[in-house]
Amino acid sequence: MKKLTHILAGLALALGISPAIAQDGPLRIEITEGVIEPLPFAIPVFIAENAAAQEYAAQLSQVVAADLAGTGLFRQIPRDAFISNVSNFDAPVQYADWKAINAQALITGAVSVAEGGRVNVKFRLFDVFSEAPLGDGLQLGGTTTSWRRIAHKVADQVYSRITGEGGYFDSRVVFVHEEGPKNARQKRLAVMDYDGANVQYLTGSASIVLAPRFSPNGDRVIYTSYETGFPKIYIMDVGTVQRRILDDQPGTMTFAPRFAPDGQTVVFSLERGGNTDIYKLTPGGTAQPLTNAPSIETAPSYSPDGSQIVFESDRSGTQQLYKMSAGGGEPTRISFGEGRYGTPVWSPRGDLIAFTKQHQGRFHIGVMRTDGSEERLLTASFLDEGPTWSPNGRVIMFTRSGSGAGGESALYSVDISGRNLKRVPTPGAASDPAWSPLLP
Amino acid sequence: MPEKLDKSTIISGGAHLGLIGWALIGGVIHWESPAETVTNVSMISGDEYAALVSNSTDPAAAGPEVPEAPETPEPPETEPETPEPPAPETEPQPSEAPPPRAAEVAPDEAPDTSALEPLPEAEVTETAPPAPEAPVAAPDEPPGASLVLDSSRRPKERPAQRVAPTPAVAPEPDAAVDTEMTEAAEPTPAEEEPAQEAQEDTAPEAANTEIVTEAEEPAGGEVVALAPTGSPRPKSRPARRAPEAEPARAETSQDTSDAIADAVADAVSEGQSASEPANATPSRSGPPMTAGEKDALRVAVQQCWNVGSLSTDALRVTVTVLVAMNENGTPDNGSIRMVGSEGGSDDAVRQAFEAARRAIIRCGSRGFPLPAEKYGEWAEIEMVFNPEKMRIK
Repeated sequence: MKKLTHILAGLALALGISPAIAQDGPLRIEITEGVIEPLPFAIPVFIAENAAAQEYAAQLSQVVAADLAGTGLFRQIPRDAFISNVSNFDAPVQYADWKAINAQALITGAVSVAEGGRVNVKFRLFDVFSEAPLGDGLQLGGTTTSWRRIAHKVADQVYSRITGEGGYFDSRVVFVHEEGPKNARQKRLAVMDYDGANVQYLTGSASIVLAPRFSPNGDRVIYTSYETGFPKIYIMDVGTVQRRILDDQPGTMTFAPRFAPDGQTVVFSLERGGNTDIYKLTPGGTAQPLTNAPSIETAPSYSPDGSQIVFESDRSGTQQLYKMSAGGGEPTRISFGEGRYGTPVWSPRGDLIAFTKQHQGRFHIGVMRTDGSEERLLTASFLDEGPTWSPNGRVIMFTRSGSGAGGESALYSVDISGRNLKRVPTPGAASDPAWSPLLP
Repeated sequence: MPEKLDKSTIISGGAHLGLIGWALIGGVIHWESPAETVTNVSMISGDEYAALVSNSTDPAAAGPEVPEAPETPEPPETEPETPEPPAPETEPQPSEAPPPRAAEVAPDEAPDTSALEPLPEAEVTETAPPAPEAPVAAPDEPPGASLVLDSSRRPKERPAQRVAPTPAVAPEPDAAVDTEMTEAAEPTPAEEEPAQEAQEDTAPEAANTEIVTEAEEPAGGEVVALAPTGSPRPKSRPARRAPEAEPARAETSQDTSDAIADAVADAVSEGQSASEPANATPSRSGPPMTAGEKDALRVAVQQCWNVGSLSTDALRVTVTVLVAMNENGTPDNGSIRMVGSEGGSDDAVRQAFEAARRAIIRCGSRGFPLPAEKYGEWAEIEMVFNPEKMRIK
């Protein structure tokens, strides 16, 4: 009987059942669901290699940690949880100690200050669980007054090596600083680091200023001012604060300017005889209309390659988004949801368009594909408007205003995933932010 | 024996005959039964007719029935009546109905263009100077329809493919508000102050709901245009390791000491060698991993697969990682290598692989939940990290 069983089993296997039982190749599994949580990192205080560097070592490591944690993608492990510390920049890393506190990334650094007042910072990044450095070590240098920029650059490097996309910490934001009540508000241009530090004012508060925008390399700012009583466009050199008016045509109002990616061409809205269209001004040329319709066309924004322009128009009876060739031509409507769409801004990556949406009495900041698909609303409040992209296209900054006569405007930022919504610190009320490119 | 055989044959023969007889008789009965039911019906009606014929002795009784016959012609009278009223009614109705239809259709065709051409021009030129007022007046009347309809019909086509499927077919209220807002955004917010002050916290909720709805239905018609995300993954299976196949064979030969079992093993090996290339040797044998055991491993790995710090580009990368396992269920960290990837740039692939490697090392440091007796099955594991469900959409 036993033999008969073996024979039957053998026949069954010989007939082809065997391949189904015996596995072919390594065991294969597919993981389609993971977790989304900040990556925990440890950053011991940078080592001061001389006495003059003591002050900067602590501040530098503090700014690097704040930059990374501020993205919402990373979580700093408190230093009092450390099992071991780093006392020598070149000492081997005790990976077991960092694994024990679940630090997945470790940032070590050292700071020295030379006699001429030059700060040198070197750092290394380690993948703790792989027990290997993540990229090569890097050394950065600068004046003592630029220590914050050095810290931002270190954070940019760490961010880039872990996430795989460029950073945005070493950048600035130009915005409108506001003072006084809503019915008598004073506005002036100001510029600051992306995190609200180093605020500097570019204009006085004698006239109203609106909608400043950086040039592609960040050396100039173009904005709208009511200095003459009518809205006119000005271009200002950020370094010298010298400015000049742009294409002043009598009997017209110009506003909503923005640079083309080449940094020379400017696109803006021009109102003449009650009608508003989009115009383009090239160096040494005259303003050329890109649209010609009885409706209002405004808020133009170039695609990163300069081939297309997205703008808002009410030609359909309600305010919607359209895009057209950079040379003009028939525009294509791209927004079809409920409500009104405005202030479109093309992402520096070229894949998304941020916009302001008003629907059912609420304002939203949202993003959509450049063809209008996959619309996602990231925020919702009493009044959100005027989005601007971070240099890496990952974060959007915008203006959020409170209700009531005393409701102040403030700057907020949000990740394009909709997470990490937070207020950007400013010295007072602020509006109309515009992000610069990464500084050189 | 012959007696028993005779009895058995007799019994079986009798049983067979009984069966045949039952089949024949039962079949006949079965066939006859429906015929009886049919005849029964006819028989009943025939008797009734015969009884009626025999009982029909009163001719006078038939007389009064005659007037009933003329009553039957009445139905023909009613029949023409029924067609008559509808006929005249329907005839005038179509004559009345067409006018409204013609009135509706006609303006859409030739008459409309001729009649509307002057009107839109007149209104557009009038409303154009006060630019913000033009869109308000336009949607109210047909003249503006030449402009408004073109734009309002488009949203009806595309919302079906959009995340927010409800079309924007309400230009009038929007347009009315639009004129106010374009000039100054302050007045309208001021009117709605109290109701919305406490709603600022709902911002993340709105974002979340939008993300969820897109995540639930990512395969819209428009998304197809962005094809890279949805393409199939024809990944090639990595080359097998020859050395691991040998211990598997040894196990089978040790387990089956019996000569017949050896023959079975030979049959298995022959079957495999016939269906696969010569260099492909069976890697292992024994009971395979159950679905539950594989799920437990999958859950253990995904708990540490953190994609929160990955770039949007890296979230489009699917990486296939091969890892050799120790017998205690921990991964051989040095053996972790990427054997395939799909999508994304080189940097994105590198980031995706590092996130996968971190997941394997972190959650495998204390050993994955794997059945020790099936080590031959999981001595080497190929893990595919597919972030399709984790993408920012």
